[in-house]
Amino acid sequence: MMESGALLALSELTVLRGGVPVLDRFSLRLDAGESAILLGESGSGGEALLSVLGGFADKADTVTGALRVRGSETRLPARRAKTPIRIAYLPNPLSQPFAPHASVLAQLTRVIARKQGSPLGSAHEELRLALERFPGSVTPQLLDAKPGRLDPVTIAIGLLASVSAQTPDLVLADHAVADLGPSAIRMLLEMLAAERKRLGFALIYATGGLQPPARLGGRVIVMRAGRVVEEGDALRLMSGHAHAYTRTLFKALPRLSLTETRSRSSARGQPLLQVHGLSYDPKAHPRDGITFELRRGAALALVGEEGSGRRALLRAVLAFDRAPAGRVVFDAVDLNILSQTMASRIRRRVAFVTGTDESLDPRMTLWGTVEEPLRAHLNLSGELVAGYREAALKRVGLASHEGKRLVGGLTAFDKRRLQVARAIVGAPLLVVIDEPLRGLDAFAQTIVREVLTDFRATQGPAFLVITADFTVAQALAEDAMVFHEGKLIERGPIVEILKEPREEATKALIQAVSLPDLSQDAAPG
Amino acid sequence: MRSFLARQAVRLVVGVFGAALIAAAISAIGAPHAHGLAPFFFAAVGRLVHFARGDLGQSAISGLPVLQVLAGSVPQTLLMVLEGACLALVAGLPLGLLATVGPTRRATAPLVQIVTATPVFCAGLALAYGAVHLLHWPVSVNMPVGASVSPDQALQIAALPVVAVGLAGAAAVQLALRRAASEASGGAFRSGLKRLGLSAFEIERRFVLPQVLAGLVASAGEIMMALLSAAVVTEWVFHQSGVADLFVKSVALADWNMAAIVVFIFACLTFVAEFAGRIASRMLASEGRP
Amino acid sequence: MTSAPEAPAPLLRAILRGVGWCGLGLIMVTVFLSDFLARAPAGWTDATVMLSPPSPAHPFGTDLLGRDMLSETLHGLAQTGGHALLGALVAILCGGLFGAVAARLPRPLAFSLRGTLGVLATVPALLLAILLIGLTARFYAPLVAGLAAAPLAFVRAFDRVEVDSTHSEYARATGIPTMTLLRRDLSYEFHEMLGSVAARALAAVTIIVSTASFLGFGAEPPARDLGLMIAAGKATYLAAWWTAVFPAAALVILILFARLAAGLGEGERP
Repeated sequence: MMESGALLALSELTVLRGGVPVLDRFSLRLDAGESAILLGESGSGGEALLSVLGGFADKADTVTGALRVRGSETRLPARRAKTPIRIAYLPNPLSQPFAPHASVLAQLTRVIARKQGSPLGSAHEELRLALERFPGSVTPQLLDAKPGRLDPVTIAIGLLASVSAQTPDLVLADHAVADLGPSAIRMLLEMLAAERKRLGFALIYATGGLQPPARLGGRVIVMRAGRVVEEGDALRLMSGHAHAYTRTLFKALPRLSLTETRSRSSARGQPLLQVHGLSYDPKAHPRDGITFELRRGAALALVGEEGSGRRALLRAVLAFDRAPAGRVVFDAVDLNILSQTMASRIRRRVAFVTGTDESLDPRMTLWGTVEEPLRAHLNLSGELVAGYREAALKRVGLASHEGKRLVGGLTAFDKRRLQVARAIVGAPLLVVIDEPLRGLDAFAQTIVREVLTDFRATQGPAFLVITADFTVAQALAEDAMVFHEGKLIERGPIVEILKEPREEATKALIQAVSLPDLSQDAAPG
Repeated sequence: MRSFLARQAVRLVVGVFGAALIAAAISAIGAPHAHGLAPFFFAAVGRLVHFARGDLGQSAISGLPVLQVLAGSVPQTLLMVLEGACLALVAGLPLGLLATVGPTRRATAPLVQIVTATPVFCAGLALAYGAVHLLHWPVSVNMPVGASVSPDQALQIAALPVVAVGLAGAAAVQLALRRAASEASGGAFRSGLKRLGLSAFEIERRFVLPQVLAGLVASAGEIMMALLSAAVVTEWVFHQSGVADLFVKSVALADWNMAAIVVFIFACLTFVAEFAGRIASRMLASEGRP
Repeated sequence: MTSAPEAPAPLLRAILRGVGWCGLGLIMVTVFLSDFLARAPAGWTDATVMLSPPSPAHPFGTDLLGRDMLSETLHGLAQTGGHALLGALVAILCGGLFGAVAARLPRPLAFSLRGTLGVLATVPALLLAILLIGLTARFYAPLVAGLAAAPLAFVRAFDRVEVDSTHSEYARATGIPTMTLLRRDLSYEFHEMLGSVAARALAAVTIIVSTASFLGFGAEPPARDLGLMIAAGKATYLAAWWTAVFPAAALVILILFARLAAGLGEGERP
């Protein structure tokens, strides 16, 4: 049913891609200032809807349906120049929307000038004014650098400022803050909410996480395979009366539990890693050195934002960088006195699982990646190697994949599991896990968490988890050390830290991932 | 930018010094009594010291100072290379840009392969044949042309080697352009910027074209090498008495001192072109204020 | 100026590569059968048919000494092709392979080698070849041509190796030895590219060998070589085009097939 008076009225919108519907009979009415959050996994249809409304649908897609914008009929797919409202697009900075060789400022200014139909000078001024309204110290001068030299959060603020400068009627946000770190996500969503309140634009936000529905409020539309599963506000959808898929989706999305108690792993044994007075910051006083111990089979999380010092500590612990002071004993061997050759032998007992998949060589095959540690370190027959390989791939759910497929052609989900399989065959004593759930959909995150937990339960390596997200720390570790501005500020069992955080920075990290209305403890389901 | 300039300058100086070392070693081959490793080494060091003082020695063929011989032939070759480079840019650049940043890129890829498969001497001889039979021009393929030619004829005779060198340069320009276009078109930024609101034309003009041109300019060293290689062959084919022709004769007659200096000159030309190209590329590629 | 340009479609590239390899195969067969296909042995003269144009008796005509150009071209193709193949092997071993290995040597040594060969790479390969042939002997022209092409091949192979790539760092962090990383480069990169590398080297060395011969630094008469034949035909080709066109065409076809077989990526350096 077509409705006049609404900002946007979509009826029976269908997008066919290669004959397959990526969006199926989707209808939406959006009034001025209203928001709609499209919650679903990749391929659920959110991206297709944004591309149709934004006027950048693929030419090969077949689009049918009806669209009315402020009462007047608009031909689909919508061409930006022909819609009577101003539409702004807000992408994720990690999707690399900018040309790598030109400054971000130049590109944002051009975008604003083009959308406003104004000269570059006035576009620059609009951007400057928009940036001034935001907290933090992002200035036009700071943005006058190539994208590769800026951190993603700064670029995200620049993108948000450019949207604000366009004074849009409708904003299309495409996973705009995903994988930027919990504190940054919270800050950016609050800024977006503030701008929406100030400018009164309508918002359609495609997301796969819980933060946007919680922080932005409004209508949540759960989507799956191009269809609407159900619609409502976040709290109602969290209740036990929601559709089965919705309940499963919400259960899969990571949330902090303030009451969950985890029994310590029974595999905890002798000390594996002993750190005495380790100082990893050249400017720090030696007495500020860190002392801690990690036992076999235990799991410790190093929690903190980017630049908080957790990776510097890790590099010092594993002797990649020479520490100004302190001593590290790994598996009863002092790492600092080792030669390169001996250190290399010790490092065979360490494995890495990273959220950027950069540890994988894209040229290698799936089988080659898993077999390499065996072939490099052990003198095994081909049959034995194949046996270990198959067992590891089975455990992570990759056994059915074509073994000669190149790593470069795998999805992020497959690559993450492949890293775990490679770690499994190496039988490491210590696994360093760095933001393992980055870039994964909800169900994929659940599976990777389970695979890692199973790995630790069956083979018993110790885990050293690096993350900015307390939900990840809680899922994979029992104890935590919290870092802020290069210093260790708090430590202890995660349960106790969550119950009674002492430091403000720790509280901020907890609040960044706490969703009081949506916490596990509050939900009845 | 300053640190970049400094790095490139160091690279240039080190490269030129390396070329001087190699030239000294080649020159020492012709030194009397330089038999055995130690005498050869001292002869090479001696030559290097002489070069540093500006004493390039004498030609073993003519007995004249090398500087004097080069003064008569280097300008001619440099002029031919320069004219060829201009022709390569004037002819190659517009066509190359259209063929690389437009939709015709895929279709022209095999065509470029066919053109670049032709050796310079074959292209030179083909040009001469066409000039004689179609344009009825005089050519200097089989003997140097005497002094009794009209100015028009002299121009026609001089044009062919330049065109041959220019064609070789145009082929190098094409390849450099295609490589730069290939590198510039990687990444998701095109669709990203389109989604943000820029038009395809604006993206190509503002963000892709400068990169492509910067990539081309950065390949100045390779283009110079192609031009110098073409000059060697072209001077021989068309009986031009330039420094490239001098090099071939010096090697044939074992005048290693002369050959060494010519190699040094060619290496320096390549280094200087590479140096200038990298700096120009850096300036083109960095877009600051809108 | 339009939408996102792409490299030639994979199918087109595969077709072109197939054409290239088929062409090289055909040339190889021709070379093996050259003594059978040729109407006369190499250098055979017939004073009664000097400089005769193409005819049924002599499809490619005859040259100034009455030699059948078809036979001479076939023999020349065999000689040039054989020399180029030898030179290409030298270029691959001393250039590409050495460069890939050198990149993984200890840093000071690796960069010294890179610097030295980088300077040599700024001298056009043709000039280096002429110089080295002059220093040694014309007999060694094929080997020397390969050596002359080696510095540039070394530099490209060296620069291609991502010694400090993130996946290499992680591999070293887990105790994977340098030899294993080198084996990765050789097996995953060179293995896939072996055909391409060989064809590319063949094209480059063919140009060097034929040009050196043309300039008088390659094969000596009575040996047949396409460059030498074109140089000999230079004296008569303006009046008798067939004395240079057919050897030149054979040369261009050999280089073209090698280039196509290399499957050069978009603007990739030949």
